[in-house]
Amino acid sequence: MTTRLLPALALLLPAGLLAGEISVFRAYVDSDLCARLMLGPITPSRIQCSQSTVKEGSEPVVVHLRNNLVLTVNKQKMIRDLAGQLVEVSGEMKAKNGTVKLQSANVITAESVPQGDPARKLLDVRTYRTDKSAQLHEKIRHELAMMPYISEFDFISFTQSGVDVILTGWTIRSTNRSTAYNVVKDIPGVETVINNIDVLPLGSLDMQIRAAARAALQRQLSRYFWGNGSDIKIVVKNGQIILLGTVSTKADSDIAFIQCNSVSGAFKVFNLLRVQGSEKKGA
Amino acid sequence: MCHRTTRFSYLAAALVTVLACSRPASQFGLKRMSAGQEFSGFLSTYANLKPSQEVESTVSYVSQDPIKNVHKYVAVIVEPPVVYLATDADEKALPDRGRTALAEYFQHAITEAVEDAFPIVQASGPLVLRLRSAIIGVDVGPAMPADQKDGKSLDRAINIGKVGVEIEFVDSETGQQIAAAVDRQNLGENAMVGSVSFSREEQFRAATQAFDGWAKRLRDFLDSAHQLSKDDVARTEATNFPYASPPTPK
Repeated sequence: MTTRLLPALALLLPAGLLAGEISVFRAYVDSDLCARLMLGPITPSRIQCSQSTVKEGSEPVVVHLRNNLVLTVNKQKMIRDLAGQLVEVSGEMKAKNGTVKLQSANVITAESVPQGDPARKLLDVRTYRTDKSAQLHEKIRHELAMMPYISEFDFISFTQSGVDVILTGWTIRSTNRSTAYNVVKDIPGVETVINNIDVLPLGSLDMQIRAAARAALQRQLSRYFWGNGSDIKIVVKNGQIILLGTVSTKADSDIAFIQCNSVSGAFKVFNLLRVQGSEKKGA
Repeated sequence: MCHRTTRFSYLAAALVTVLACSRPASQFGLKRMSAGQEFSGFLSTYANLKPSQEVESTVSYVSQDPIKNVHKYVAVIVEPPVVYLATDADEKALPDRGRTALAEYFQHAITEAVEDAFPIVQASGPLVLRLRSAIIGVDVGPAMPADQKDGKSLDRAINIGKVGVEIEFVDSETGQQIAAAVDRQNLGENAMVGSVSFSREEQFRAATQAFDGWAKRLRDFLDSAHQLSKDDVARTEATNFPYASPPTPK
């Protein structure tokens, strides 16, 4: 039996059937953080987000230009300095796991992607322009904002491409993930919904960080916490704090960052708070 | 010396075997209602309870403290329910495995009702509530007819015709009561549990319906407590924006 199998294996191996298949594709080098927040067109603010968060320690990932698929890589060093740039990647891709074993990553220009190539989808903001999109966008935004179990520890975002919606963000409650999907799916005009909302683990260290961060922010920036909600979102994942939402001034954003940095057990704080009225500057 | 050691080993092995084979004590506590008392004494306090506006024969409490209220917690520990016998019930006649089945069913029902809104965790800590519950007024029912018996049947049925439930959410670290409710229902004479697999038997449907109903009410309470107020809606609408760029018209 074994003697019969061995020649068969020897024949299969060179054909690449047992080894992983090597793919070559065009991608955008992003940070895990921004990829989950800002799936959609590659705009200057997104490039700035990618570069600054990778610099601050967020894991670099590649986003397949053809389908918005976020892929974590085995050799982060190879792409760390390429954040915010387009690359041609070769490697063993496992779409189901969202991973790629990198062999090479070479910088390319947007112009080198031919017109009409599906990979241009992410590059071209016109992909995200349709007559009804603005109304639909507002409707989706409204429905997601009205979800009852959203706390200061959840952040649900989305990207709209015509009738397709990609849900992104983080939540501590699985009900938010399913509710977001269901409410958006039921909105007239939405055809497909891709649910990339990450349900966060509730480890005791993360819980302590959440409680401490909220207490610290409420002490210093109480005006952003109201009734049962807040303008500042505190996403905690494996000891990292991601600050999201909107504040009135840069000083408040800095205070929030300093307060969260002093939280015991938190080893990294990503300050992605937007300052009101300065979104265009990439705040 | 060697013989003594061998003998001791045999004894130890026998003791281990006996312990392993003995029935484990039920994790669900058993207590008795005191005579003439309105409440069982299970809740940490009854002082805050007021008649519910929404549900008949229910008294409830929801903390309005801006720092310690149900919104400020994100996970829950579900404690095994405690069973309280009716004042004059014969404890020895109450089948232990039936009581366990009853408590297990209720624990499962309330866990299922809350878990996607309040993820279940095992350790107490900040942002974690503890859900305590008790089934009050369980009584011993009639002997089960011999012709209806199988391996899962109880010798004596458990009468739950006049049971109620007492439930509270407390802060898992301090024990402070955050919300509580006491609900009584007259389920009628036919509300019995006569089998450990009662939830699958039509004749005990009144029992499963009652426990499912209480579990649903618990979830309804959490849902209503999380509805956004008018002010919250306005503020959320004004501040909640996605990070990705909105589409621009053609």
